[in-house]
Amino acid sequence: MLAIVNAEIVPVVGDPISGGTILVDGGKIVAMGKDPEVPSDARIIDATGRTVTPGIVEAHAHVGISEQGLGSEGSDHNETTDPVTPHMRAIDGINPRDDAFREFREAGITTALVPPGSANLVGGTALVLKCAGEIVDDMVILDPAGMKAALGENPKGAYGKRQNKAPATRMGSAALLREALFAAKEYADKRESAEGGDGDPPSYNAKHEAMIPVIRGEMPLRIHCHRADDIVTAVRISEEFELDYTLEHVTEGQYVVDLLAEHEVRCAVGPTLQHGSKVENRERDFRAPLALAEAGVPMCFTTDHPVIAGQFLPLTAGIAVSWGMDYDLALRAITLASAEHAGVADRVGSLEVGKDADLVIWSGDPLDYTTFADVTIIDGCVVHERQV
Amino acid sequence: MRAYRGARFYPVDSAPIDEGVMLVEDGKIVGIGRDIEVPANAEVIDLAGKVVIPGLVDAHSHVGMWGDGEGDASRDGNERPGPITAEVDAIDSVNPHHVSFQSCREGGVTSVMIHPGSGNAVGGLCFAAKTRGEVVDDMVLKAPTGLKGALGENPKRGGEGKDSPKTRMGTAALIRDFFARAEEYGRKKERGKDPDPDLALENGLRVLRGEIPFRVHAHRSDDIATAVRLCEELGIAFNVEHCTDGYMIAPFLAEKNVVAHVGPGLSSRGKVEVANRDERNAALLAEAGVKVCLVTDHPFLDVRYFMAYGGVAQKHGLSFSDTLRALTLSPAESIGVEDRVGSLAPGKDADFLVLAGEPFSYKSPVLSTYIEGVEVYSRIDRRGG
Repeated sequence: MLAIVNAEIVPVVGDPISGGTILVDGGKIVAMGKDPEVPSDARIIDATGRTVTPGIVEAHAHVGISEQGLGSEGSDHNETTDPVTPHMRAIDGINPRDDAFREFREAGITTALVPPGSANLVGGTALVLKCAGEIVDDMVILDPAGMKAALGENPKGAYGKRQNKAPATRMGSAALLREALFAAKEYADKRESAEGGDGDPPSYNAKHEAMIPVIRGEMPLRIHCHRADDIVTAVRISEEFELDYTLEHVTEGQYVVDLLAEHEVRCAVGPTLQHGSKVENRERDFRAPLALAEAGVPMCFTTDHPVIAGQFLPLTAGIAVSWGMDYDLALRAITLASAEHAGVADRVGSLEVGKDADLVIWSGDPLDYTTFADVTIIDGCVVHERQV
Repeated sequence: MRAYRGARFYPVDSAPIDEGVMLVEDGKIVGIGRDIEVPANAEVIDLAGKVVIPGLVDAHSHVGMWGDGEGDASRDGNERPGPITAEVDAIDSVNPHHVSFQSCREGGVTSVMIHPGSGNAVGGLCFAAKTRGEVVDDMVLKAPTGLKGALGENPKRGGEGKDSPKTRMGTAALIRDFFARAEEYGRKKERGKDPDPDLALENGLRVLRGEIPFRVHAHRSDDIATAVRLCEELGIAFNVEHCTDGYMIAPFLAEKNVVAHVGPGLSSRGKVEVANRDERNAALLAEAGVKVCLVTDHPFLDVRYFMAYGGVAQKHGLSFSDTLRALTLSPAESIGVEDRVGSLAPGKDADFLVLAGEPFSYKSPVLSTYIEGVEVYSRIDRRGG
């Protein structure tokens, strides 16, 4: 058993607890409060005067799959041989030895949703993992965790521009995405009919198989979209096919905030700190997250690691506060809101009894630029301890 | 005359002043201190509870010429083809209406040195400008301020087909050859032999004559050592841009009096040559006695977040005063414009920032940016709509 004592606990759900104790056993939080009884054999971590929050959750990071410092050798996130590859699985591209996992732990990031890249209209399935381990399968907390899709410039660039094949335009992208959804629907319907004794099952198709949970609304389509018109197209197609869906990046969300509010669309906003590498992210900054938050649209922050190094996710939330975002909301947008976006809020994102013991002891205000994660704990194990 | 009164002032080249006064007239600072008499005709601006620091100086930027959502249309940083493009001048690529200048003002950056890119072994002339104006020539602080050079991965990528450079030694040989030709060109001119005019070699001569330094892009420690070797061999003034692995050879760089332009900050490690990037770099270099300037390399770090980068450098061991200096006076000195900008002192340009509190915190956004006494940015409260 592990006991973190004398902590300034910010659980994200519920009121802060000053001078509180968190008891951890079997990788779970088993008690939390002003003074729960600490068993005599417990390992004690004294957090006097220090803030303890849930582990930070990155809702959209290519950690392990777009590896650092290796150039093209470390690039395994875009299977750019075909614009529709739903049968790809991010888990098959992840290297747990990517040094970025260490940086994540050092920055207090304990959980990440890892999607394939955005070169393909349909890129494959994402997964959610803990940021410590040697074997990716042991790190997984949810797989699959959504199907990646992309609109806007990236698919056009990867195919129309570089390979002289479809899609070359935004309407071309939308048509190919619809086609993939429609073909999967037909395949799923046929298979269902055959299972009910009506006709022959369709011959096996790996792509359509992978799309069945999406078309049935059992798994979210996670759609990369920056510009407002791409956001609207994402909503249009998703509503047409009655999908469960999330939006990724949402750079110009401020222009269509009413639409996003009306459909209660879950949005992962970022990378807000990125330079304008493309026309479609020209407007990236903190106007979109502020507008979304104000309108009550469910939103979280993402760095899109390695576009912005994931270790700067807490700093991103800090800058959002300097732009005028409510502090609690900004902290929520890198913890519980990210966990909700990723579909793992039953396990992580807040400090509550019964949840995974993923937590961070900070040297100061977790959102300030000069603050360290002194101790990072995943599933009750200390995975980072700062040497002073 | 205006009197900015009541703030804590960080002049950078002298001790902080609590509840101080700064007098500004005709775009210049005319007085600063605690017990400065405010003339009766002065307009008093109350800054009680605020903090004032010099406008930030960014010694390595591509503002006005690159990025910010303009796609291919504004990619004006790397002239091609050919690895030696010493004839180009960054000033001819800069658009004052590019949104990046507004970003500078928002981020508190009032002076920048704008470089050509690092795609070529010799990339062209750099110059320094204020971040406000309609015509780039009116914005110039000093021009030229250096000749850009590049080692490592970028110039190797630049060559078409079989063209050199394909290796690091190829890049070094091209640079040696360029300066050897410039020297020969200079000798011919001296002997009155009127060689055919060559803009590239003219700019090489400026470096050889000590008029401007060679500003060399180098990330990996071996590339940094090559920069030192080449420049000592040629007997030219130089500094190292990026200096990512500098911490590995910090005592060597200190001994050689190398000025390090460290950045971009908040970056990941996309290339092999930055695989050993360490956030402690600036602190370890400073500790060894190397002069450090933090740089954005905008657009690679959006200049709006320059102060946050300062915070990260401070977090990883750079002292508060060293951090502040690395964002102001040190880059001004490296550019050669410290007579005009980089600190708050009588006679200097009235380029300064009003912050909500102590620098390098999210709690202290830039409230106002002033260039030569004119408020060029005032914080917008974006809440509520």
